[in-house]
Amino acid sequence: MSSSRDTATSLRQKVWHGSIPLEIRLHRGDCRTYDESDAYLIQFPRLSYLGFLIPRLHAFFSDNLIYPDVSSTEAWLSYEDVPLKWHYPLGLLYDLYSGAEPAYPEDGTELKVHTTEEEQGSLPWKLTVHFSEYPAEHLVRLDAEGKYLHDLYINNVKEADFLRNGTGKTIMSLNKEDSTQLWDSVKQHDFSLFSPINQKLLSPQGVNLRHIPMRLYLPHAPSSTQDEEAVAGSLRVVQALVLPALSSRQPQTLGTALNHILPSLFQSTRRPILAQPVLHGAAVPLGTNLEELLRMAAYSDGWLHIAVAMMG
Amino acid sequence: MEKVTAFPFISKAEFEKGCEEISVSFANCSKSQSGLLSMEAVLQDGSMYLKIVKALQNETPKPPTAQQTPEEQEIGEDDDEALLDHPSEQVAVQYDIIYSTSYQVPVIYFRVKDPAYRFPPTMEILYQYIIPRQFKQQTDNTGVIGGITVADHPFTNSPAFFIHPCRTAKVLETSLETKDIGPKEYLILWMTAFGNYIQLGMPAYLAQTGTKLGL
Repeated sequence: MSSSRDTATSLRQKVWHGSIPLEIRLHRGDCRTYDESDAYLIQFPRLSYLGFLIPRLHAFFSDNLIYPDVSSTEAWLSYEDVPLKWHYPLGLLYDLYSGAEPAYPEDGTELKVHTTEEEQGSLPWKLTVHFSEYPAEHLVRLDAEGKYLHDLYINNVKEADFLRNGTGKTIMSLNKEDSTQLWDSVKQHDFSLFSPINQKLLSPQGVNLRHIPMRLYLPHAPSSTQDEEAVAGSLRVVQALVLPALSSRQPQTLGTALNHILPSLFQSTRRPILAQPVLHGAAVPLGTNLEELLRMAAYSDGWLHIAVAMMG
Repeated sequence: MEKVTAFPFISKAEFEKGCEEISVSFANCSKSQSGLLSMEAVLQDGSMYLKIVKALQNETPKPPTAQQTPEEQEIGEDDDEALLDHPSEQVAVQYDIIYSTSYQVPVIYFRVKDPAYRFPPTMEILYQYIIPRQFKQQTDNTGVIGGITVADHPFTNSPAFFIHPCRTAKVLETSLETKDIGPKEYLILWMTAFGNYIQLGMPAYLAQTGTKLGL
């Protein structure tokens, strides 16, 4: 038992420490010199949010800006033509938009993270920071105090808690110090601060797991009732009530859940045919026990945010 | 009349039945009587939601911002008038009442629809143009109805105002003595409880049903 607990802890930590190198340049339209400015380089955690980076980018590029007085709340990031939601975890954005091939398990039983040649080619991930023409129709505007990012994060934490326990009592019962510590752990990306609060949230006493907080992100398919113009990189976000077990003997797997929620994309519960689920850069095998996946590989807001990548 | 079985919660099927019934009764009344521009049940990605469009009421006075010097404030006010010079019929608030599978209650996402996009979803716009000043306390995080934040709309994935549903079940439960109500009455109850805070109000023809419920 202790070895499986060790594996769980070690996986949790691996997920927490996953990171992506970023190379961020100032958009030409916001740059006062004809030549490009220096790039901002950073190794940034997959579980963290680009919103935290924006004040630093504002400071770094301030000498190069056409309008040096522009507020940091005007800043936004894009990859190619896709405006990036700064309140999505970086890892989810990368899995959705970078085009990098996900990592596959090497022998079908053990999930080894290895860097493919293609991935090295796409790294560092090259992003652009803009200080004008905010795509307000598509992105929430960041406020100077970072309150919106906090609100969006807490909304997700609350909803995940409600799904897991059927009430919002666990999150409401955290005292002020705990709530502050949770947000600090996310801001500072500090596992030792995060882990004790996460334990309280994930394993409240006397409560059985009711539902698995899971969101699926699909490349956008045009919809007839949509009155908005579809922008590059727009997504359909799908969630449903997902039970941890199908019966007392049959646990829910990623495959059985996907087959239930998106039957046209996941016709088989065992083998990906048209699409595959990608989490933390890995193509997750459909046979994975969903409750175990939740406990080891959820994002810091308690959700499994899964990119659905089309195959072939 | 079929009853909502798990009041104060509602099932997806009951919610969708309520949406249909309400939109049918809207179609049968005159628009001018309702005070709304439109109300329809929309089916998207296999789920139904209630879409209500209402002209933006601009009467709310603008609260002065503390950081502004008097001079800047004056300029700000001028800008405001310039904003409102545009034909107001083009500016409307769209309210989408959507079923939350997580919370098993209706949730609302709303935003100002404006061709020039002068009213992006920010807290400043919310309190200047949508929330009547006397309700500000009830709509902050510690207030009666649960906090209003900016979040992505579940169907369009675009930013909108969002009332957090953590208090919805409690609010509904305490505003009604009987638990025997149908899906349409449930939605009317919901709109009565939350609509006033966000200029949605209660359309007159639906208010009659509300009165029958003793609201």
